[in-house]
Amino acid sequence: MRAVIKNGIGVFHPQGFLDGNSSIALLSIDDIEATLKSNADMILVSLQKVIFFNRNGLDTFVKMFHKIRKTSHIIVGFCDYDRKKYDAICKFYKDDLNFSLFKTQDIANLFSSSYKNQAKNVLLFSEDKSQRAAFAIELHDNGHNPIVAQTHQEFLEKSKNASAYDVILCDSYLGQIGQQVATRVTGNAIIYTLPSFLDAEIGNTFNIAYHNNSLNVGFRLFIFDAYKVVSMNVHALNFFSKLASAAAEYNATICFVGMTFEKTPTAFKETLEDSGIMFFEQMNDILENKELLEELGASSAATTKNKRPLNKMIVSELANFIDATVATIEMMTNAQAIKEAAKVDTIVIGEKENKIASSIGFYGDIDGMVILVFPLDIAKKSCELLIGEDTNDLELILDTLAELVNIVGGKIKTLLSDEKVNVNITLPRTYKDIDSLLEIAQGKKGVQVDLAFDNDKFLFFLTR
Amino acid sequence: MITQEKVDSYIKKIPPAPQTLKQTLLLLQQGELTKAATKAKEDLALASYLIELVNKPLFGFRNEVTDISQIFGILGLEGSQQAVYNYMISLLSPSQWKFFHLTKNSFYDLQAELTTKYTKILTHLNIKDPDIQNAIALLPASIIVAEALFCEKLEDVALLRSVNEIDLNTILTRLCGMDLFDICQRIGEKWNMSEKSMEIIQCASGIKPSKDEEINKVGKWMHLLLFYTLSQPTYINAGLNDFIDFHIDFVENIYADFAQLMEIQ
Repeated sequence: MRAVIKNGIGVFHPQGFLDGNSSIALLSIDDIEATLKSNADMILVSLQKVIFFNRNGLDTFVKMFHKIRKTSHIIVGFCDYDRKKYDAICKFYKDDLNFSLFKTQDIANLFSSSYKNQAKNVLLFSEDKSQRAAFAIELHDNGHNPIVAQTHQEFLEKSKNASAYDVILCDSYLGQIGQQVATRVTGNAIIYTLPSFLDAEIGNTFNIAYHNNSLNVGFRLFIFDAYKVVSMNVHALNFFSKLASAAAEYNATICFVGMTFEKTPTAFKETLEDSGIMFFEQMNDILENKELLEELGASSAATTKNKRPLNKMIVSELANFIDATVATIEMMTNAQAIKEAAKVDTIVIGEKENKIASSIGFYGDIDGMVILVFPLDIAKKSCELLIGEDTNDLELILDTLAELVNIVGGKIKTLLSDEKVNVNITLPRTYKDIDSLLEIAQGKKGVQVDLAFDNDKFLFFLTR
Repeated sequence: MITQEKVDSYIKKIPPAPQTLKQTLLLLQQGELTKAATKAKEDLALASYLIELVNKPLFGFRNEVTDISQIFGILGLEGSQQAVYNYMISLLSPSQWKFFHLTKNSFYDLQAELTTKYTKILTHLNIKDPDIQNAIALLPASIIVAEALFCEKLEDVALLRSVNEIDLNTILTRLCGMDLFDICQRIGEKWNMSEKSMEIIQCASGIKPSKDEEINKVGKWMHLLLFYTLSQPTYINAGLNDFIDFHIDFVENIYADFAQLMEIQ
């Protein structure tokens, strides 16, 4: 079966029953090769005419998605399904949903370069906050007008007036683009999911570069989701003990959640606790307890380990960093940016009141960190597009800001890769006030650029 | 490409049912199983077809069954009629398949699978009407017709399908104003099959629902059965999965029942 390519979008149309046997017959190696060479900017599998599918049936297509994504970063996923099919796919790929899901092909078209700048009014809703944000950003980036419903209730009310929108976007999922590490971020905690058996292999599968850079950016709480872990051996024990010791140098905390010791010696737990790892039974024990979350994630001392000087290579890419930042903020605020001053020094923030900040790290051919300091008002304005309305909920603003900085990071990555500089980005970290930022950034030398958006001052700082 | 005249000339070439076959069918319709078996033995090709059919793993017999009376006894009245119709259809099948990647054996397997599962469905629906029971024989006929019509235009059809997602049935309709199910009907007419059988086949296309509730119900089951069978790797590789357009809305309300009957996990 070959994908039918129209306007740069390749769509497979399987029909009938899709199981492990039939999908292998549907998609030959030649078909996959032809798809890889097709130069389409999106590859989709329509489930419109599939009445039954199971995980094995979808896996053949998902493997093709992975192959495509290895060679190019185009959007891949399934489309044309109902709620029942959507729930089934989400259940099959619960922790591994790294492709996109579009309820209809019309929705998928919105994200294709062939349908850019058509200024479609899109009512969008996803129960997942970060998905809502990702959709809104991508839609805006493609020249459409997203109208974000924050709650299901609001979505139902707004969708009653269906004629007001060109497209209603729901039951969809935007697969992560370019993000290689299976992590989720909540507040300022990074959550890693662990596999069933922990052995020497963990040293290969765990992305230590990503973790170290997250530490460097200022993340201080790392939660290992260990619900699935059946057993751990001594090699994994050593690995986590070393990880905990390394984290201690940054005053970071490592927690294990949901780990049972039925098939793992309890002595291992004591060893891990001795090295500073904390154990919790439920994820909500941490995430729902705001005070504990703040206490564990707060940095009590400045990092002394990483005062690395800027190098020539980073400075030579400065223009890319600023371009990516300015383009994103201009897009989000609809305001023109003016560069006021630039200097190489330690970070200087004049007025500390009513300012929030966010940082994102990058590593690879070059490594370092971008810090953005926003006056609260401009942060609110930048996030309005994503939140959908004016809000004073600081937590919501910080979360949205993190998404915005993630976009900046993504843009930096793309701009650098155009110049053959390959970097990966960490998840963004946010700071609710300047003092908490300075715990990380105080004394670090970097390039500081003062920018102004409609007379609102805004600070960009690039450091290592 | 394919013209209406070509379809007509092809249908003209279809031989009428041989005398022995007609008589065997007539005896079966009268309920004369033993006499029908005696008649069937006269046609050696039919006898060999029936022996091959009954000894397929699908029927699960430990020892080879070779006696025609015994075979008719195993298949029962309705099953025997279906088998004879299947044989008639197989007379049309090409010696070498070019367009669909089928062989003589895989085509017989398809016939056998459709027939056995269809019988299971009719038992489930408690339908005993012989006209409805015989209708399934016409489905594989449409595959033979498609093969005959398309095999000369392999490249043209491939090119046409590469630029748009069109099923063969639609290509045929656009070209000669007649779809595969219409052609099936013409074959059915030539072989004196009942109106009801042909109406069910039309209904199984998923686009021509019948006003008769029972025919409509059977048509839905047949449409789903066709896709259930054509989703098997052998028939996907043969190019049959996208032979006609699957109408999911048409069969959605019977799917749960179908899945239970076919034990789909």
